[in-house]
Amino acid sequence: MKTLYTTLKYSAVTLWSMFVIAPFLWAISTSFKDFNSVTSGVSYIPWLQFEPSFEGWKVLIKPASEGGINIVEPYFNSIFVTLTSSLISIILGTLAAYALSRFTFKAGFVKNSDITFFFISQRIMPPIVLSIPFFLMLGYLSLLDTLMGLVMVYIVLLMPIAVWIMVDFFNKVPREIDETALIDGCNPYQAFYKVVLPNSIPGLIVAGMFCIIFGWIDFFFAFILTFTEVQLLPVAIVALNSSITPWWSLSAAALVSVAPLIVVAFIVERYLSKGNLSGAIK
Amino acid sequence: MAKIEFKNVGHCYDVSAENKVYALNPFSLTWEDGGRYALLGPSGCGKTTMLNIMSGLITPSDGNVYFDENDITNVITEERNIAQVFQFPVIYNTMTVFDNLAFPLRCRKFDEDKIKTKVHEVAELLNLTEFLNKLTKKLTADQKQLISLGRGLVREDVAAVLMDEPLTVIDPDLKFKLRRKLKEINAKYKTTLIYVTHDQNEAMTFADNIIVMNEGNVVQIGTPKELFEKPKTTFVGYFIGSPAMNIYPCDAVSDDEVSIGGLKLKVNTKLPDSQKSNLKLGIRSEYINVVNKKSENTVEANINLVEDFGNYKLISATNENIQIKVKVKRESVIPEDKILLEIPPEYCCIYNNEELVE
Amino acid sequence: MKLVTKNLTFKPEDEYYLNDVSLEFEAGRLYTILGRTLSGKTSFLKTIAGLQPVDEGEITLDEKDFRSIPVWERNVAMVYQQFINYPHLNVYENIAFPLKQRKMSAADIKQEVAVAISQVGLEGFEARKIQELSGGQQQRVALARSLAKKAKILLLDEPLVNLDYKLREELRYVFKNLFDSDLSTESILIYASTDPQEAMQLNGDIVVIDEGRVLQTGPAKEVFENPLNIKVAEITNDPAMNILPGIIDDKEIIFNEDFKLNLPSHLSHLDSGKYFFGVRATDLNLDDSGFSFTVDISEISGSETFLHIHQDELKVVLMIEEVRNFNLDDQVKISMDMNRLYVFDANGDLIFSPYRGN
Repeated sequence: MKTLYTTLKYSAVTLWSMFVIAPFLWAISTSFKDFNSVTSGVSYIPWLQFEPSFEGWKVLIKPASEGGINIVEPYFNSIFVTLTSSLISIILGTLAAYALSRFTFKAGFVKNSDITFFFISQRIMPPIVLSIPFFLMLGYLSLLDTLMGLVMVYIVLLMPIAVWIMVDFFNKVPREIDETALIDGCNPYQAFYKVVLPNSIPGLIVAGMFCIIFGWIDFFFAFILTFTEVQLLPVAIVALNSSITPWWSLSAAALVSVAPLIVVAFIVERYLSKGNLSGAIK
Repeated sequence: MAKIEFKNVGHCYDVSAENKVYALNPFSLTWEDGGRYALLGPSGCGKTTMLNIMSGLITPSDGNVYFDENDITNVITEERNIAQVFQFPVIYNTMTVFDNLAFPLRCRKFDEDKIKTKVHEVAELLNLTEFLNKLTKKLTADQKQLISLGRGLVREDVAAVLMDEPLTVIDPDLKFKLRRKLKEINAKYKTTLIYVTHDQNEAMTFADNIIVMNEGNVVQIGTPKELFEKPKTTFVGYFIGSPAMNIYPCDAVSDDEVSIGGLKLKVNTKLPDSQKSNLKLGIRSEYINVVNKKSENTVEANINLVEDFGNYKLISATNENIQIKVKVKRESVIPEDKILLEIPPEYCCIYNNEELVE
Repeated sequence: MKLVTKNLTFKPEDEYYLNDVSLEFEAGRLYTILGRTLSGKTSFLKTIAGLQPVDEGEITLDEKDFRSIPVWERNVAMVYQQFINYPHLNVYENIAFPLKQRKMSAADIKQEVAVAISQVGLEGFEARKIQELSGGQQQRVALARSLAKKAKILLLDEPLVNLDYKLREELRYVFKNLFDSDLSTESILIYASTDPQEAMQLNGDIVVIDEGRVLQTGPAKEVFENPLNIKVAEITNDPAMNILPGIIDDKEIIFNEDFKLNLPSHLSHLDSGKYFFGVRATDLNLDDSGFSFTVDISEISGSETFLHIHQDELKVVLMIEEVRNFNLDDQVKISMDMNRLYVFDANGDLIFSPYRGN
């Protein structure tokens, strides 16, 4: 009875793993195909079933004049915008979260939990609601089609995530630790960064990870707020499309854009599993 | 109500490890139906492990657990008919007091009328009747703990009620009232009550039988009186009683006399052969008498410290190399610096390799 | 150095946390704030530390305003009930933290930390992480950090209450030795506790507090022997002092029909009327020629038995100096030591104390 149960468990896990990994494998093999291999029927294994070609990958580096998209510039634009906006979001969001966790705000009937919810509610809104206001605002400031404009908009989108995650983490650090730091001679700022922050590093990492991911994959705002000067990766990839869908270069582009996220996930996972999550009080 | 038996029950958290470290060393014990037991020991002695084995939260790596002759070692907690009360109030915030108490009965699909009667009965017992319709959010910590306790008592058919230091959050004067309630419940319903604590006062005032544990071992089982007068090991002598028993390494000078440093004392125990033994003498501070005349077992000592505890005074005195603590009545006349103490042989306990010599 | 609080009042949401608290503290002395849970002890300590505001009142240190000084400039130290240490630092860094904050040189810090560590007995633990330590060790680190600061005011909020019973006894001696040593001559030590026996053992000045109000202050012995009112008498004794309402009529003290005593000569000057009489559990005895009472419950604690008895409405606790079993509803006869009787007037204030007279 137990072996049947174990077998079922393992089979379920294996099936699910295959389900998850299959798209990646498919994308990898497709990226090495060309038009003929793609249209000539189902084939997965290179050399055995089809002739691999680097066409898909080359397209990514060729400039537009030669029919490709030069992915390098959008790539670095994305990295710049994502990292900058994530960093600023985390800094501002963490400070806001600390205030919401430690101090009591009251404006009429509005309390801390209401303010926290206000932050989180920014993520609930459908992005399209913000599209026109942001377009107009950036236009007014002459920041359309610029990296700085994008960074500013992304901060608005990513900061709620940072606040959301960090408020929870700060609530878990006992207030008495802050108090002890104050008694030991720290003013409130020092108490925050010398004592509370070091004990919230897992939270920072998680918040950072979420900010980076959501910033990296955003297509909507990158699309409507940029035209020619600045292009972000998701928009650049979409530009690959033509009358014949270039599956091979799309696959290659998809893999290339997912790669940094996988790296981030690995780094974060290794750090989190080192047991740095503990730091609790008995 | 059931008789609970442990047969060679022991637990090691990591069975695959090279050197198995047992949180609880294998032992056997029968818990009589309707008894009041206390598991007493310092932190980490294994008492919570033992409690969790009984409730089914842990399956022991060694041995078997029986409820009324049925082997329930592998039976899951829900089917074991155990009620467990934890150190901190465990209550359902969104429900009223009534619903909280009714919860275990509703889960088992009891009849609503029966539930109502039972809940009222238990609420009456714990003085919670006026709160039955209130939301639990507004109550104080001890009221919440009473509800936790009540929830453990609504089920008549429980084999035992297990309590893990349940009175820690309660005010001292309310603690006594609750202990009394528990004893009344035990007397009325004959439910087996098992109480885990590190506080010997709680254990002694609550239980008929105390199981003293240390480092995963059951050290002694007995009534409060037995544990106090005849502790089986030096650990029990140290752990039970406030202050701890006075314990001194000694040598056997003859069949019935020991020597501590140069001090000779007569004892009532037949002493083992001096060559092969590691002897200690234990005498409780309550049994040492302050006397005026020298006699056989008297010691002259210099008073270092007199502490006033309100109910009694504690004298710490030294004689050359041994330090003696003596408990006296608060109103007793205590001399300035020298004091004459009598150590009655009938209350001396002799330990060989930390174990009591009978 | 003198710390003075005047009329401190803190009343958030209509409940008095502190109610007109006016106290004086002098350097080199130990003060025990004694009161039940939620009586205002923690509020008071936090107000001195600066962590809690007050609605009214002033605090001065050596006649200079203390209240307006921010927490981090106050040079106080606080040890909490829950063992609070910086989790991301090891033992050495924890103790060094306030010293680093003060910008002391590394060599000085090393020396001070070494002194503090030896005072609490944690030599060899410098590199350990906080999470690896047991409860008692963690609390000792917290204490070491407070000592290293050489703060002018050392606040301790029931620091031993979350520790094992035996550990509590041992650490209490560590505290006492620290307090008695020279290091404390320039500091004010304020220790909050709910346990009257602990307050007596610490043997400092006691401040009795209840519902935010100071009821009595004085040396431990004085407060114990001469409680100014019934509330103080209850708080400073464990078990609480028996308070019996009665009437003095002619030459008799009448508690009820079956319980009458002859008015002792030292009380003959009192007018007839309603009074409250106080007698400790230790001053009542089993006496075959005494008054009949019914047993509610008997509790054995080490070498003593606490017997809870009643007669009609009167409920009384007495302490018997031996271990004896009693059953519910047994009849016993008791008498009281008339020389240890307290008399309080109808308002609850002390009129006569056996230690002081009027």
